[in-house]
Amino acid sequence: MPVRQLIVIGTVLLAAGCGQPQPPGGTPATASSQAVQLGGPPTDAGTLNADSGEIKPADPAKFYKEPGYSPYAGRRYPERPYFGDEHVHTAWSVDAGGSGATLGPEEATRFARGEEVTSTSGQPVKLGQPLDWVAITDHSDMMGMITEIKGGNPEMMADPTLKRWRDMFNGGPVEAKKAVMDLVAAQANKKLPPAATDPRFAKSVWAKNTAIAEKYNEPGRFTAFIGYEWTSNAGGGDNLHRNIIYRDNKDKADQVLPYTTFQSENPEDLWKWMTEWEKTTGGKILAIPHNGNLSNGRMFALTTFSGDPLTKAWADARQRWEPLFEAIQMKGQSESHPSLSTTDDFAAYELWDRGNLTQTPKKPGMFAGEYAREALKNGLKVEQDLGTNPFKFGMAGGTDTHNGLVAAEEDNFFAKFPSAEPRPDRWDEDAMNFGPNRIVKGWEMTAAGYTAVWATGNTRAELWDAMMRRETYATSGPRMIVRFFGGYDFTPADATRTPAVAGYAKGVPMGGDLPAAPPGKAPTFLVAALKDRFGGNLDRVQIIKGFLSKDGKPQEKIYDVVWGDGDRRKIVNGKLTPVGNTVDVATATWTNTIGDPELVTVWTDPDFDPSVRAVYYARVLEIPTPRWTAYDAAYFKIKITDPKVPMTTQERAFTSPIWYSPK
Amino acid sequence: MRVRTLLREPMLHFLLIGILLFATHQWMAPGDSAGNRIVVTQGVVDDLVTQHVAARGREPSAAELNHLIESYVHDEILYREGVKLGLDRDDIVVKRRVRQKIEVIAEEDASTRAPTDGDLSAYLVGNQVRFAQPAILTFEQVFLGDSTSSPEVVQAVAVTRAALRNGTDPEELGKPTLLPLRMTETPADLVARDFGASFAAALEKVPVGEWVGPIDSSFGAHYVRLSERTPAVAPQLAAVRDHVVREWENERRQRARNEAYARMRERYEVSIAATAPTEQP
Repeated sequence: MPVRQLIVIGTVLLAAGCGQPQPPGGTPATASSQAVQLGGPPTDAGTLNADSGEIKPADPAKFYKEPGYSPYAGRRYPERPYFGDEHVHTAWSVDAGGSGATLGPEEATRFARGEEVTSTSGQPVKLGQPLDWVAITDHSDMMGMITEIKGGNPEMMADPTLKRWRDMFNGGPVEAKKAVMDLVAAQANKKLPPAATDPRFAKSVWAKNTAIAEKYNEPGRFTAFIGYEWTSNAGGGDNLHRNIIYRDNKDKADQVLPYTTFQSENPEDLWKWMTEWEKTTGGKILAIPHNGNLSNGRMFALTTFSGDPLTKAWADARQRWEPLFEAIQMKGQSESHPSLSTTDDFAAYELWDRGNLTQTPKKPGMFAGEYAREALKNGLKVEQDLGTNPFKFGMAGGTDTHNGLVAAEEDNFFAKFPSAEPRPDRWDEDAMNFGPNRIVKGWEMTAAGYTAVWATGNTRAELWDAMMRRETYATSGPRMIVRFFGGYDFTPADATRTPAVAGYAKGVPMGGDLPAAPPGKAPTFLVAALKDRFGGNLDRVQIIKGFLSKDGKPQEKIYDVVWGDGDRRKIVNGKLTPVGNTVDVATATWTNTIGDPELVTVWTDPDFDPSVRAVYYARVLEIPTPRWTAYDAAYFKIKITDPKVPMTTQERAFTSPIWYSPK
Repeated sequence: MRVRTLLREPMLHFLLIGILLFATHQWMAPGDSAGNRIVVTQGVVDDLVTQHVAARGREPSAAELNHLIESYVHDEILYREGVKLGLDRDDIVVKRRVRQKIEVIAEEDASTRAPTDGDLSAYLVGNQVRFAQPAILTFEQVFLGDSTSSPEVVQAVAVTRAALRNGTDPEELGKPTLLPLRMTETPADLVARDFGASFAAALEKVPVGEWVGPIDSSFGAHYVRLSERTPAVAPQLAAVRDHVVREWENERRQRARNEAYARMRERYEVSIAATAPTEQP
């Protein structure tokens, strides 16, 4: 026991000793000499506005050019969506490592690229379809704590004394003890080798993290974004978390350490930090908030963090820094809630709606500040009042996995924590338990989600630019392809051609703004969806419209615009007849004998009023397929009889919206 | 006799071990020559200042520095008290943190030497398949419909063939599709990701420069014109060096971690003094 303790103490000592002189148990240095941490004093208010004009994302309007003789010259619009996950925790997140996760950022990145790895629970696992990109987003809080492991640095090992210590350290208990003693003596007598005190070696875990992203980033084949999560749990678990995604490489990312909630829990301070970050480094970053459903009303509250009324500057900053919102992940969906969208037959889907992150129960009225659709509607009202829409965001999906495995496929669901990796009992256990009536059951975990990005190529810059212009959609896991264009001149003939050709020529893609309405014209939308190659057929495509009534009240309306089995299904009393269900729960199988593999249509808003603001997005539903709980039951040969547990699911995609504003 | 009894006294053993630990601890802790003494050395203060500069972009004021020092002392005292009570030992989070540190040390230890060309060549030879260089394809496609055999597609094939010969823009032909109409210099395995493996395989054989088809993908039948093809080749180190280095280093890293554990484990005698469950088949 004493020996083991010595080794541990020695480790800490060695680590401390090799950086700045520090006593044992001293706080580890959290910053290297190169990296700085920003975000202390507030910046002057003018900065934000000045920066707003800096971002010049690729303009989709310019993707299409009237062709000359060569039909392809000058045309460079996104040809395919790139699927990825912008939300991944590994063993390097304090809560993931603490819960036993052993897969670090390197294993997580390899897994996302399609390599087979061994999960924390010892099971071999591989993605059914590799991702095109990933952002490892470990929590910035406590990131420094596993840092300062500098021993093996090759430059340091060039020093014979350090090399000798390291070898002794690894040699066995007696030698290790002697190494510690030597080291202590040297440190006390200020006789540490110069290499050991060189501040360049105060390497942070952040630099290690960015080095891994750099190593696996392969432009054209796979993008490994640099990123982290800023984890604000205001008021004890009101989820205001944001993932920060970097457009740039390690050279810029390493200049500044990630922002932590020890500095501030207020998103406004994060935006100030982002402003300063861009100024300092010349790079570009964006933030993706997630889990509005666990924010107890605060994610899209119509007041500031401190409870003050919203201002134009606040709205400008939010729109500027947060172009996307993660609407679905393993902790449920935040697109819509049945109590807010009472006419929506599909809103009661993967709901985590009883409390916040620590399951502190909700109070009436909180839902309105939690769900994306409500925020999109409220944003119109705020824009009318203040001049800027703070909630002008597109849709993203992530896993938020905490075991390094972005395994969101229903038949390959490795869940959120190591303890919930495939096991017969996981559906019935507590996924989270914060006391009586504050429990989330294992079966409530959602096998979701991914973000599809319509980018011109698979590079950090191209994907990031597409995120910034919101040309993205979220899926609950399947790799369905979805196009959504808005304009005033789409005709049914456009639905018989390749959608992108007409789409970019005559309209704006998802994430864009409709221009002013020509007199007498209503917006038309070209929408198309193609099923996942290995997934279920498509049930329907809906267009969801949010708008302001004449007296300025946010409203919504859902239109079924095209559906599978068109010859036998129709709208009866305003409702499309259901697609049916072929799932055999016992064997966790289904057949694609219902629905259609591909749906495309042109739809004109029949209720358009050019004088009021509106927002439109598409939702694509698959036919019912087995949920992960059904795959578990079939594989483990268990009976799940609890009627509360859904055994089928309707996978889906939500596109980024297209906005209309009266001019 | 009495001495021998005394030597067997467990209390004495505890005492001696305690003194030894205490002495070791004192020896190891610079600036901490008495048990309950905390010396905030210039080194500690310099470090606090450095951290403040890193976090705030400026030196701390006198009041701030005093506060930082007081916080440091606060941390230190509670930490030591906690350690005295063994709270670090009972804490699974602390334990796993320390485990991570040891593992990272083991991994970094192994990463001191850059792989030589000899290492990489040997690794490449042993893993040819993994580093195979796929064919690089540039093509356009016209989507015809569900499957080659359907009458509708047979009809579409004839119409499309004629239209393409007459120079009709391929974008005007075929059925609407969300698949890319063209792919430029794309590795065959990424073509397979979008269109399916058999489609990509077919494109490795079709003649270059002419419209051919129908060729089946996961979605249906297509007309295809391949404009450029770099055939698949056996990997040469120069072309795949980065990839080989990455895999070689990853393997070494994992081996180092496993071997470090194996080495340490050898030094322990582990006995499960409980009823261990029998493994299920």
